[in-house]
Amino acid sequence: MTETTIGVLLALLCTVIEGFAQTFFKKSALAPARARLWIGLGIALHVVEVLLYTVALQFLDVSTAYPIGSLSFVAVTVLSQVLLHENVNRTRWIGVVLIIIGAALVVAQA
Amino acid sequence: MGSQSRFPAKLIIGLAVAIALDTAVQLLWKTAVSGLPATATLWGTVLAALHQPLFIVVVALLLSQMVNWLKVLDHADLSFAQPITALSYISVTLLSVLLLGEKIGGLQILGIGFMLVGVWFISRTDHVTRPDEPDSP
Repeated sequence: MTETTIGVLLALLCTVIEGFAQTFFKKSALAPARARLWIGLGIALHVVEVLLYTVALQFLDVSTAYPIGSLSFVAVTVLSQVLLHENVNRTRWIGVVLIIIGAALVVAQA
Repeated sequence: MGSQSRFPAKLIIGLAVAIALDTAVQLLWKTAVSGLPATATLWGTVLAALHQPLFIVVVALLLSQMVNWLKVLDHADLSFAQPITALSYISVTLLSVLLLGEKIGGLQILGIGFMLVGVWFISRTDHVTRPDEPDSP
């Protein structure tokens, strides 16, 4: 496995971790009685993500890592719908897709 | 401007702060990582990072970001607020041009256009899910 492959896999893993961390943070707002638990879990995941992303940046150019990171918008949107039961309608999905395309184009020449 | 009046001022300010902090973190994080010695292990990277002052600044900004973000989530759906922070991609690009003298190409301008339209689409949706709303359109 090449260093680039490791970096891409780590960056992808970070997007999934980010999705769950954000979901936990939102849970803290929805369930104030257990806010500390959810915030603690979210922070723990963010610490792991920081470490993994730091390693990923050593293997990847930021121009590669950054657009991969934009996939966290997909993870967050899916998890918001599935775990938080938010109303993610077609308009919101169109916005997410346009943002991901835009993010890829923005960093394409970086 | 009529659409903005639908959103609480606290939400708009919180999102603006989140975008500003995101921008600072992205620019400083890469700078901090660039200063680390090459090492093959995660632990070696962590130890080296602890001795990098700029990395401490990044951590402080991340903590500030988290506090602000929890306030934002008090006022909006996660699937509404989080994609809007993608505007930091635009601010990072523009600051790279303004501060670092980098050039911006046609693809990047097109990308900024896509992102602005994407954020506009999301801003057309309700910022909070009401209990009686269906899950799909």
